Parts: sequence; structure tokens; C-alpha cells
Amino acid sequence: MMTNDTIDRDAGETLAAVARLLHHAAVRTWAQAEAEGPRSPLHLLGLGIHIASCQAVAMLPVHADLEGQAPTQDDVVQLLRSAEELTRAIPVLDQPAGISPLVVDICDLMREATL
Amino acid sequence: MKRQDERSVGELLLDADFTTRQILMDVTGDDAQAMLRTWGEVVQSASELWATLPQPVGRATSPIDGITMARLESMSQAMHRNQVRRGWPGDGASDERLLRVAETFTRAADLIGRRGGHIGPTDPAVRADLDAARMRIMHTLYVGAHSVGVAAQQHVADVELATTRGMSDRERRAVPRGQDAINRLAAFEQLAGAYVGNQFARAAQGEHVHGPHGTERLQQALIGWDIQAHRTLAATPTPANLLLASRTQAGIATAAAAILHAGARTGNVDTHAYEHRLAPTLDATQQAWTHVATRWAEMTTPASRTDLDLVHAAGELRAAVREVAHDKTTWAHPEVMAGRVDLGEAAQHFQQALSTAVDVACVTRDVAAQDTNLSGPARAMSHRANGDIDRAADGGHENEDVVWVTSSDVHANRTVPIPEPVRAGLVDATDTLVQTASNAMSAAACLDRFTHDRPSGPGQEPTASRSRRHEGPTPMTQDVRSVARP
Repeated sequence: MMTNDTIDRDAGETLAAVARLLHHAAVRTWAQAEAEGPRSPLHLLGLGIHIASCQAVAMLPVHADLEGQAPTQDDVVQLLRSAEELTRAIPVLDQPAGISPLVVDICDLMREATL
Repeated sequence: MKRQDERSVGELLLDADFTTRQILMDVTGDDAQAMLRTWGEVVQSASELWATLPQPVGRATSPIDGITMARLESMSQAMHRNQVRRGWPGDGASDERLLRVAETFTRAADLIGRRGGHIGPTDPAVRADLDAARMRIMHTLYVGAHSVGVAAQQHVADVELATTRGMSDRERRAVPRGQDAINRLAAFEQLAGAYVGNQFARAAQGEHVHGPHGTERLQQALIGWDIQAHRTLAATPTPANLLLASRTQAGIATAAAAILHAGARTGNVDTHAYEHRLAPTLDATQQAWTHVATRWAEMTTPASRTDLDLVHAAGELRAAVREVAHDKTTWAHPEVMAGRVDLGEAAQHFQQALSTAVDVACVTRDVAAQDTNLSGPARAMSHRANGDIDRAADGGHENEDVVWVTSSDVHANRTVPIPEPVRAGLVDATDTLVQTASNAMSAAACLDRFTHDRPSGPGQEPTASRSRRHEGPTPMTQDVRSVARP
């Protein structure tokens, strides 16, 4: 999986939105973890979400616009669900290679956050 | 009268994909046996669908296309034969959701067979559609295999938990059977994943099927993380990389506290040392790493890139910790962790990790103090600079009226060099980090003594020959610049 300069424009914009949602979800999770204290298992959930966010950013062209609007939701599970739903609109092709592992990671994080 | 299914092939494939995603989000250990019974049917119907897709005309096809599906089907059949031979999971209900996936594939194959399977595609757009269909089928198998593997893993974990509470021989035999299924599904997932991840060549050459488990995986992940963190921070000490490094180090401290706590509860770690020395110092170093991470986060933007090798090392470390220490959303019970791995051995690996963490802390402090290229978004830097100045003023320092970031930079939120107060605050935070990491390392020195003094019992083999031990004296908590890495 690497930076992809040939990604379809629509897919790129969708993936950027996925990255924003994941970034926000990681920030929210870490905020909850810090409120719970240093032994909270949420620290590792936040790390997992951040890792997924890094993977999403890595699949985008170098100059992709990732600023955008901050998501309005604050619920981590809802943010992850929204991210997964957005990935459904991204074609599963060899470009962008790596979307399948990202989908699996997001679904795993969803299960980890909700079970 | 049954309503006719009007969906196109593309819609059917999407339905199969989304169903496997939903399964993966909801799957539990209770689903494992039904899913294992049904998985072969999914693969077979996928293979039949694959075979009905019109073959390309007038261009060289990659032989890997057909070979991958043939290998996956062969693996699935071998898995089925093994299940029959072992009598597990045996007869019983099928998984309705996976059955739906199989039926959806079959429905798509029927549609193609009736409407155009015989047509040789010459149009580039049609060929592209076919490529997309193959990729979607493979993606669905990849997600599906992962979900069955997760169910099997959870099932084994549930059985192991029951073992600690007493169980029949029959139930106990489910553990190696489940483990065998996990390994086979991991191989399947890896092959399908290589196809959709465009990494076929690497997978075909490597033939890596499954890696180590338990403490061996934990040890490798901790060592791999340490090596990669040093490499990345030496080559590209960007705020994004430092953010991930700091969050991962905080995660190591959190995991160490959870696993050592379990060790103390189960007699694998000195309880007094854990409660009075280890736990407080681990908490302090975790908080110090977290604080430093928030500082680095302020210096990143949403578009900041993180070294992918570092990302993968952090991901593997997190997975290794979860394998040992997690039970769904929270920490596993101490007895459960003790049933999974030798917690004394795990404690030794964390002792090493806490030593090397001091060096990562020192590298982090050096970057904070010396790297002249550090920069961050103007608004966050202005906000942080003013906050740090106000705090210094509260502490009795003179509050000079200095503009650290220009209003035009703030307005455009340009990337600016970090202002002097921000660097000073960062250096203070990393000084605390080095101190707390050193304290944790010193406290952890007792782990080596205790785990080597404890008696060996069943499943508690001596670990001295496998562990990497300090040969020299324990470094003092003061003036620690760096610790030699093993």
C-alpha cells in the first residue's frame, strides 16, 4: 500500500473523508481514554484507529485536500460506521490497492469498539 | 409467489461484499462452528461464479487470475476434508449470513450463464467491468475469510477461558482443532489479500502462512517496534512520526501495566513490587508519553504523512498485545491471560521494552531540543505559545509581550517554525518523559530477578535461554542519556 497518484477523483475525495472520520474517531477515543486514566484499554483502541487513519492517508495523492470540515459526530462507533459506509462507494480495484485491508481494519475496529 | 430477484450482477456482488462486512463487524466465538461448516460453500460458489465470467479475448491474461482462485478452492477443500477427518465442527446448523453470500454468488453465476457467459469481451469498458467483478469476488472472500478466522479465534479464546474453569476432554480438544482452522484461514486470507492488495508476487514467493503466537509474537513485535522506531526517528523525525511513536510507547506502558497486573495476580510477578513500584512508574510514563503525543499532534495537519513501516510495526505490536491481553473491548481476566501465555516470560519481554523505551524517549527529547526543522500549523502554534507563556507568567516568570506568530500566518494557517515557548514546553515535557521512562526501567529490573527465581511448573518452562538479559548494572534514574539496545 503506498501513496497513489492515479486514484480516481471521486474515490480520492471519499477516501479523504474516510481519513478525516478516522482521525476524528482516534482523537475522540484518546480523549475518552485519558479521562479514564493510563490503564484504559481505550488507549489501544485509539492507536488502532489512528493506524487505520494513517493507512487511509497513505493511499491518497500527496497533495490531496484533507482539511475539510470536522465531522459533527462525536460518537466513536458512529464515526467508524460512517467511515465504513463511505468505503462502500470506493471501487475495489487495483487502484487504490490496499482498500480491502483498510475495510477489514475498520470492520475489526467497529467490532472492537462495540462488542 | 416468490418475488423475482431483479438485481444486476454488480448489485449482487456488492450485496455479497456488504454482507461479509456486516458479519465481520458482528461476529463472535459462538458463530465459529456454523461459519466453518458454511465457509466451503461460499468458496465453491465464488469459484463457480469466477469460472462463468467471460474470459478476455485478444489480450494476454495474467495466469495468476485463475491460479489464485484455484488455489483458494483447493485450500478450502483441504480444510473441509480435515474437518470431516477430525469430526469437528461436525454436523449442525449453517451460518445463514454466509449461506446468503453463497446464494448471491450462485445467483450472479446463473445470470451471467443465461445472459452472456459465452460472449468474448472485446470492449475495454466490458473488460474493466469484468476485472472489477473479479476483484470484488476476491475482496469478498478476503473479508469473509477474515471474519471466519476472527470467529474461530474468539471460539478458541472462549474454550481456553472455559478450560481455566474446568471442562471436559471433548471440549478441550476443540482448542487444537480451532487453532488448525485459524492457521488455514490465515493462509487463505493472506492469498486472497495478496490478490486484492496487488501484492501477489510477494505472497507467492514468501508463502508465509502464519507467524508466531503468544509471547513469541509479543517479543518479536516489541523488538520490531523498537528497531523501526529508531530507524524512522533517525531518518524522518517529523511530528507525525513522533506522534505515532509516542502513542505507541504509551500503549506499551498501558499494556505492560495490564499484563504485569495479571502476572501479579497469578503468581508470575512479585505482587508487592508490582503494586508499589511498577504500577506507579508505568502510570507515570504512560501519562508522560501521552502528554508528549498531544504536543506532537498539535504540530501535525490532517494531511501529515506517517512512515508506513512505522505504521505497520505499531499495528503488529497492537495485534500482539491484543492476542495476549484483550477480551473483546476490555482487558482479559488475569487467569485468562495466564491461560494464554507464560506471563513471567511476557513480563521479561516488557522489561526489555521498558529499557529500550528510555532510548526512544532520549531520541524524542533530542528532536525536541535540537531539530531546527520542527514546524506546525500557525493557529495551533500561536495558541500553544500563548498558553505556555501564560503558564510561565503564572509561575512568576516575566510575561513579555511578544508576537510569536504573525496574524497573516494565523489567518492563512500557514506552516510555521515552532515558536520558542512551544519548543521550551516541548523540551520540558520530553525531559519529564525521559525521567519517567527511566524510573519505569529501574522499577522493572525486579522482573528479571523474580521470573528467574520462581519455580517452574507445567507450562512454566524456564525462560532464561530465550530472554535477552541485561549483563551490566541497572542504569541509574538520573542522567540517563541512552541505553544500549540489545
